[in-house]
Amino acid sequence: MATVLERVVAVTARVLRLDPSEIKPESTFTVDLGAESVQSIELVASFEEEFGIEMDEDAALSVESVGDAVTFITNLCGEQGVEI
Amino acid sequence: MRLVLLDQPTAKRFHFYPLALSRPIWELRCGITTLGEKLVAKIGAADVACFVPPYMADAYRAQTAWPVNDPASLAGDDLLIVAGNVRAEEFTCEPVGPSRVKFDADGDCLVVRVAKEDLGKLNTGSIDALIESAKTAFGTCDCEVPVWKYVWDLVLANPGQLTKDFAAAGRSGIEGTVEQPNAIRGGRGDVFIGKGALVHPMVVLDAEHGPIYLDEGVEVHPFTRIEGPCYVGKKSILLGAKCREGMSIGPVCRVGGEVEESIIQGYSNKYHDGFLGHAYVGEWVNLGALTTNSDLKNDYSSVSVTLDGRTPIDTGSTKVGSLIGDHSKTSIGTLFNTGAYVGAMTLIAATGKPLPKFIPSFAWFLEGVVTKGFGKRKLYETAAKAMPRRGRQWTAADEAMWDEIYKMTESTRKPAIAKGRRVLAGN
Repeated sequence: MATVLERVVAVTARVLRLDPSEIKPESTFTVDLGAESVQSIELVASFEEEFGIEMDEDAALSVESVGDAVTFITNLCGEQGVEI
Repeated sequence: MRLVLLDQPTAKRFHFYPLALSRPIWELRCGITTLGEKLVAKIGAADVACFVPPYMADAYRAQTAWPVNDPASLAGDDLLIVAGNVRAEEFTCEPVGPSRVKFDADGDCLVVRVAKEDLGKLNTGSIDALIESAKTAFGTCDCEVPVWKYVWDLVLANPGQLTKDFAAAGRSGIEGTVEQPNAIRGGRGDVFIGKGALVHPMVVLDAEHGPIYLDEGVEVHPFTRIEGPCYVGKKSILLGAKCREGMSIGPVCRVGGEVEESIIQGYSNKYHDGFLGHAYVGEWVNLGALTTNSDLKNDYSSVSVTLDGRTPIDTGSTKVGSLIGDHSKTSIGTLFNTGAYVGAMTLIAATGKPLPKFIPSFAWFLEGVVTKGFGKRKLYETAAKAMPRRGRQWTAADEAMWDEIYKMTESTRKPAIAKGRRVLAGN
């Protein structure tokens, strides 16, 4: 089964149209991966759909890097009782 | 006699959404004045109080001189309690007389008249308690009490109401400045230009088919053509507009492009080209350049509108445009479908195609779907920036009211966001 990091990378690659190999845990969504504001919203929606969770917009959009997203999603899955 | 205007959170209140989400129903416009102003004038009331849904009381209190949701308003005088959607023109109940009540078929209160000496028989602790006790204590009033049923009724009645309101206002002539060359068609008695209003050169005021009322401080830029009947509210600006018949524009608006038989509540911008017809636009709305709404279907069938996100309602009219709630913003090139419902506090980014007919309040419509976007906090920040530009402030009371509206509209927004999420995720 894919890890949270692998799933985050896969979603990020699809939304931002990148090769997964370009995406590292330390990559920031806006500066390193070039996410524009609309794509940030698309990323949040896609993470919610991928993991079956609900994200607070302000908290989600303050996440800067892929690694931070993994931590944020892992915590949220725990809070919302979602198995990962 | 004290007139008490009543807006209860009834099951039918959503018939006036999205405009009535953030204001009492009597603050809606039709013709030159609001429904409330018409009721006050018709009844001849000098003493007015009002009761609104509790969530909007604090915000509304800042906008009116009338006591709001104050039980003290229910004592000390004869009372005439009138629902805010009662049509003033056809209201025939005597303001003072024996105590009587009138409810509609759904049990919603339309009128309660209480003689001062009967107040002791009633529970005056709250408006709801008073109405309930009056229902059992008094007989039914015989008079007919017609009501406005849906928000689009106001739009459809607007041209005729403009003509009636102009006659009722009894004003004509030029108190402002009309720079030459200019053309005023029709009778001079059908045009009123208020103090401080400025009509630039190369403007046509065509009052041949209806009166034109430009209120104080209005500015009309060159190459604007205004067809009557029309009302332009205080300090509004028309910018080369093709302003066709039946327009009511509230105060402090900027209007350009082609507009027809629509109502703009106030403080809104439709600065650029693009067509707006048979629409009702709230306050603090900004319609981006080329935003256009359809108001007629290609098969000329009657237009349906979905007010609750689920059930379309047949308007019975072949012409209904958009209903756009307060603080909504559209991007350039937005295309609204016939009879579109655009909730309050929405942000719309055009897709090049006509948008869905129902967009829930607080929706960020991006990439062709409803999303959470950057959330309500960003929308509030935008409102707090926009309002001081027109001399108003975003207050804690406003925010508290909108927080409640956010909760009230969640049931229509959540499924739309879930659907949008699935589309974005490719599922």
